[in-house]
Amino acid sequence: MDMNLKIHRFVEGKKWVQDYKLTVKTGMTVLEALTEVKEKQDPTLSFTCSCRSSICGACAVRVNGNAELSCEVLVETLMKRYKTDTLVIEPLGNFKVIRDLVVDWDPKYATIKKIKPVIEPKKEFSLETGCKQSPEEFNKFKKYAKCILCGSCVSECNKSALNQEDFLSPFVFVKAERLVADSRNRSPQEQLKAIVEAGLWRCFNCQECTAKCPKGLDPAGAIEKLKESTFAHKLDDNVGARHAKAIYDDISDSGTLDESKLNIKSEGLIMAALRAPMAVRLMRTGKMNPMNGHPVNPEIETIRKIVKNAEAASKEAE
Amino acid sequence: MKYALFPGCVLEGAAAEAYTSLKKVCEKLNIGIEEIPNWTCCGASHAQGVNDLAALAVNARNISIAEHMGLDIMTVCNTCTLQLRVAKKRLDEDKALREKVNKILKDSGHPYEYKGTSKVTHFLWILDEHPELLKGKVEKPLSGVKVAAYYGCHILRPEEVMKHGESNQNAVYMENLIKALGAEPVPFSASHKCCGFHAQLAAEHDVLTVTGQIVDSADKAEAAAIVTPCPLCQMQLDMYEPEGRDAVGSKAEVPVLHLQQLVGFALGLSKADMGFDRHVSGQKKLKIG
Ligand code: SF4
Ligand code: SF4
Ligand code: FES
Repeated sequence: MDMNLKIHRFVEGKKWVQDYKLTVKTGMTVLEALTEVKEKQDPTLSFTCSCRSSICGACAVRVNGNAELSCEVLVETLMKRYKTDTLVIEPLGNFKVIRDLVVDWDPKYATIKKIKPVIEPKKEFSLETGCKQSPEEFNKFKKYAKCILCGSCVSECNKSALNQEDFLSPFVFVKAERLVADSRNRSPQEQLKAIVEAGLWRCFNCQECTAKCPKGLDPAGAIEKLKESTFAHKLDDNVGARHAKAIYDDISDSGTLDESKLNIKSEGLIMAALRAPMAVRLMRTGKMNPMNGHPVNPEIETIRKIVKNAEAASKEAE
Repeated sequence: MKYALFPGCVLEGAAAEAYTSLKKVCEKLNIGIEEIPNWTCCGASHAQGVNDLAALAVNARNISIAEHMGLDIMTVCNTCTLQLRVAKKRLDEDKALREKVNKILKDSGHPYEYKGTSKVTHFLWILDEHPELLKGKVEKPLSGVKVAAYYGCHILRPEEVMKHGESNQNAVYMENLIKALGAEPVPFSASHKCCGFHAQLAAEHDVLTVTGQIVDSADKAEAAAIVTPCPLCQMQLDMYEPEGRDAVGSKAEVPVLHLQQLVGFALGLSKADMGFDRHVSGQKKLKIG
């Protein structure tokens, strides 16, 4: 079976898309296809790889719009998925490109520093007694320690695509949760503060990171866990946290969201007033009617108890 | 065919037209829907960030009521679908968690336990799985109408919870439905992108930019309308379309339809039937219905 590769090239400021033709062998990975092009057709093509076994994270590229670990994914899988014999290969999205498929990790490493990525051991630990941790405590962050820094999660991140200055790449949140959830950590408060400042609440919850992570680490889920921790550490004085809390409280107040009050609760009266033109537009089309009282769920007492009992149970688990 | 309907909060409020149009369309298609009595908010993808177990328990309650009705659940909102399906997956796969949550429900006086007997599906998936529903019903095929299929995030991702069809990354089921209604799906680069709704307050400028980009991309594809299976995406793209235009310096004005409205038009229902007067954008531009 033949295939076409359309590879996005970038060399010394010049950009173009170059076509290559290849015979697909059974079990051929995207990385093997790239290697064959480089060895037999075009030695100038640049890409990175190392372990060839989904461990080092060096080989991620974007294929037909979606990030893939090129040493892991089979050409045939993608041809079948996209029903095509043409694969378009680009460097990962939301990275600065150095050359062809090679991207610059330095700015990303610099953002990891923003979250103070070290653990200061709790005071009760010492050189003599060590830093003890139970298997249950270890299990709380074990998953997040498995990040291979491949960058797949940021490639199609919808928030990162718009502005990375006020946001962290998804894998940095994974790293952060790994540190915050570690029972040996003396000051998760410090890290959480830094994470809130660095953009925790600006995540769109688009789930692209979770969809793309080849290790199944669920960065979007790590973000939710971090948010939960910010409430436990009373770091919830910001618009994102207030909005989430307003929605959460509505469940106990009436059972459903009271849209006419949500913005006021989240942003405060003044910001909400600045949205008045919007509100007028919505009232005109009948989308919003503050005169309509918000109905209360007849089973509200049970619902409140469910929320309260769940809160008590989660405290207990801590 | 009958489902327990989980309407979700916005169908009771800002997107009420999505509810009226759904009822009319389901009636025409002989899909029975009975609202889950006393359902609550699914958490709107925010509650789990405040307290995960509470959000889970609340959805276990929602699902358990449908189980008691003996019906599978139909949703019409991407985010509701994801929240309910995540809850279901976690409860079905983790016995200890299920027992913990059932104890919370019982201790709180809720009469039913979560069993895992009801499926959670979306209106769009039902139409895709049952093409026979539309057989002989398309009274006014939408011939020549170009439509941009905007999926939104939560019906596609994460695939392990929201798998539908051969591949979520190359989903074509909404385009297939558009064709079945006689219309023409147009290739449109923002089809799987995020509308930003859930971060509208925390990252306003970025969200308005992406709103503008999506509408502009549909306009460049010459779409007469954008259609979406999610009322949150619909609200974001429709209500904030003017601000989105300003954010990206575009002139594009495109009507943004709820999926059930597009289906309704093809079934011969009118703009008034589908509550189109409640839309903010494209009032003069919509040529169907
Ligand atoms: S869920 Fe948040 S972090 Fe993940 S890809 Fe979307 S915007 Fe980025
Ligand atoms: S979180 Fe997953 S996708 Fe992101 S860098 Fe780590 S391993 Fe790669
Ligand atoms: S080459 Fe190491 S992960 Fe692919």
